[in-house]
This record gives sequence, C-alpha cells and structure tokens, in this order.
Amino acid sequence: MIAEIMILDVLRAAGLMLGLGGLFAVVLLVASTKLKVETDPKIDQVYAVLPKIDCGTCGYAGCAAYAQAVIEDPALIGRCSPGGPTVSGKIAAVLNLQISEGGAPRRPVVHCHAHKKDKTYYALYDGIFDCTSANAQPNVQACAFGCLGYGDCVRRCRFDALHIIDGLSVVDYDKCTGCGACAAGCPRNLIEMVPFTQDPILVVACSNKENGKTARSQCQVGCIGCGLCKKQSDLFSITDNLARMDYAKYEPSQATETARQKCPTQVIVFRGKNAPAQTTEPLQSAAASS
Amino acid sequence: MDFLESLLVGFVGIVLINNFVFTKFLGICPYLGVSGRLDMAFGMGCAVTFVTTLAGGLTWLIDTLFLVPFHLEVTRYVCYILVIAGAVQLVEMYLKKFFPPLYKSFGIFLPLITTNCVILGLCLFLNLWQVDNIVLALVLSFGAGIGFTVAICIMAGIREAMELADIPACLAGAPIALITAGLLTLAFMGFSGMIR
Repeated sequence: MIAEIMILDVLRAAGLMLGLGGLFAVVLLVASTKLKVETDPKIDQVYAVLPKIDCGTCGYAGCAAYAQAVIEDPALIGRCSPGGPTVSGKIAAVLNLQISEGGAPRRPVVHCHAHKKDKTYYALYDGIFDCTSANAQPNVQACAFGCLGYGDCVRRCRFDALHIIDGLSVVDYDKCTGCGACAAGCPRNLIEMVPFTQDPILVVACSNKENGKTARSQCQVGCIGCGLCKKQSDLFSITDNLARMDYAKYEPSQATETARQKCPTQVIVFRGKNAPAQTTEPLQSAAASS
Repeated sequence: MDFLESLLVGFVGIVLINNFVFTKFLGICPYLGVSGRLDMAFGMGCAVTFVTTLAGGLTWLIDTLFLVPFHLEVTRYVCYILVIAGAVQLVEMYLKKFFPPLYKSFGIFLPLITTNCVILGLCLFLNLWQVDNIVLALVLSFGAGIGFTVAICIMAGIREAMELADIPACLAGAPIALITAGLLTLAFMGFSGMIR
C-alpha cells in the first residue's frame, strides 16, 4: 500500500518536472529564435584557426575574446604568440588581408647554465620553496643573477614544458607554445622571449654582470666578459661584463662555431628542439667534444 | 479598499522595512559585486526586478495550482530554481539583443542572477507568509526587486563618491565596501517596526 502511494507520488513529481521543463524548453526555444543576435560569421572563422588554449598572451581573456577583438581591429593580428606566423597568416586569410613576414616565433631562453655543482653556495637555504622567497635572501647562492632552481617558472607553465633539472630550469621546446608565462614569472628575469630564427639557436647562457674574477668565484660556467666571442663574430656584444647574442640576426657560421668552442667557461650553448641534450655535466662533455 | 491598503502596505513594507538586502542579508554577492558604477547597478536592479516579478508570480501559480493540490511540496525548491533559471535565460537573451553594452558589462553576474538568493528567498517567503492571492504575490515580488534596486543604487552612489575619497590603504577596496554596507544596514534599521 505504502509502496503504491510512493510510486504514485514519484510519478506525479516526475510528470510535473517533465511538464515544467518541457514548457520552459519550448518558451526558450521560441525566444532564442525570436531574439537571435546575428554575429559576424568571421568571428567564428577566426576562432576556428586560433590554438584555443586560452593562454592570455595576446592580452585578452581567451581565444574567443581575441577573435572578437581582432575582427574589430585587424592591427592586433600578430598578438597570438603560441600560433606564431602560421596562425597570423590564417587570420589574415579570413579577413582578406595580407601580412608582412611576421618574423620567427618567440620561445623562452633561460639565460643561465649553472647546475648545482657549478654554483657556489655560502649557506644552506631551508626556507619557503619558491624562487621569489629565495630571491629575497641575499645569500641563497653566490651568484645574484643565476637560476635559483625553485621552479616558479615550472609552476607557471600550463603546458608541462619547463622542468628543474639539477638546479637549473630547462625548457622542453617540443611542448613549449611560447606563451611567455614563465618569462613573466622569473623573479630574476632570467627567461627572455627570443625570436627563434634558427633551431637550434646559439645562446650565451648566463646573466652574471660581475667582473670576470668575481663571476669565476661565483660560478664555474659564468660569463666572465672576456670578449673572445666578440672577436670571432659581430653577432656578439658585451655590455656590463656580459656577452649577448643578437638573436634576430643569428645564422650559424664558422665564426659563431669558433666562438662557441673558444669560450673559456663554455657558456655559449645551443638551445632549441634540435639542440644537443643538456646534460648534468656540461663542462666535461663540452670540453671532450671540442 | 482594505485590499488596496494591504497591497500598499505590503509594497512599502518589502521595499523599506523588510528590505531583503538590509534586513535579511540576501543577495549580497551582486550587491557588492556590481555596485561599482551607478548605471550598471541600476541595470542589475532592473534585471533582478524583472526576474523576481516573473519568478514570484509563476512560482506562486505553480505552488497553488500544482504543488499543494498534488501534495508535491517536497519538489518546491527544484521547481522554483527551474522557473528562475528559465526566466534568467530569457532576460539574458533579451539584453543580448537589445542592450549589448549592458550585457557585456554584466559579464558573469547576469547568469549568476539564477543563484541570486533574493529571488529564491522571495519565492520561498511568499509561501511562508501564506500569500493567498496572485495580485499580492506579484506586488510583493515586484517590491522585493525594487527594494534590491534601491539598495544596490544607494550603494553604487556611495561607492562612486568614495572613488574620490582618501581611504587608508589597509581599507581600500573590499573592506571599505563591507563597512559601508554595514552602516547602510544600520541606517535602514530605523524603519523597523513601522509596520507590523
């Protein structure tokens, strides 16, 4: 008896909810056709060619917002850095525009090459495990410019493209989309978004601006600002005791190869998808090959 | 005449004396979230008023015509939420069509009217107060929306003026908004007891 009443109640309740739901479905269906907003079909077309990872590098809330913005102002075409020139070209095709050569896609380069055994430590840092906190301690490591290895960049990366390997942040260029989140997250500004004109690209992997003697005392693989590379190739320049490569003009040549081999601290290295794997013992292996 | 008087008393009561925001502390989320600018606050108030009136009337009808006769009071919450969600969808489409800038500036707060406790609270209070005719139910629903609009507009006006004030750094932003809300509530306490 009780079971019968319960079943009846359940049926009634289900019927009521179904009826109500159906009624609202019909009303909303009619409303959605009556109140349909005509949107520019190009917005959907642009959205279709975007990477749809919503990384926010373009400065908009996501790919959909960027698609809307780029329709309104075509000057924003080149903002999608994960997509690079390929996507810019596709957007331009949708908008019936032509783009100039957009240049190489930008990828992060970590300007440090020091693993744990290369660095000099004064004391043991046992504080909060992140770079921003560690960076507040003046004596966390001797080099005030190099990678701290507590992984602020790793935590910022949404694509699992960064890892701390033996105290050094290493980019996995196969997974990297070039969104630039890591570069913004490094408290020491070690990571720079660099136009990858070549892959692999030659990089002076150091940021130490101390003079040669101090730099040597702080790190075994630091740039000492000796200027040997600059003598070999004009692509290198030295400011504040620190050599830098002109990435936009880089092309592999005999001169740059000689510069790489002559560098006394072996701090000029290849980075990129096709670069030789970064080992935990860079100095020895590089010395053996040269 | 008695009927008209009860309508008037009910309306004034729900707008000023039993204001949902000030005395029942419902709908605080949009009250603090969308009260940055007066025009947006007014738009939000209008949207909420529309939804409360629609939802209040519909839920009263559903309650008296279906739920009570069939003894299905247990499904009250589900039915009410269904009605409210449907009404909000309708408002959203309407705004998107006719007031795109307003639609844009609301952002996530527009779909969130669905979960605005003023509306569900009102529908349940109509039931609790045993409102026995549709006209009174509609007037009370409309009054609840107007009450919310009054509250959010006063708040927005104050916050617009506060933009220019020299607020201590530790209080800037949310803390001063909450303090303001508290003081406003105190002011509205003065109305309590005017109508029983």
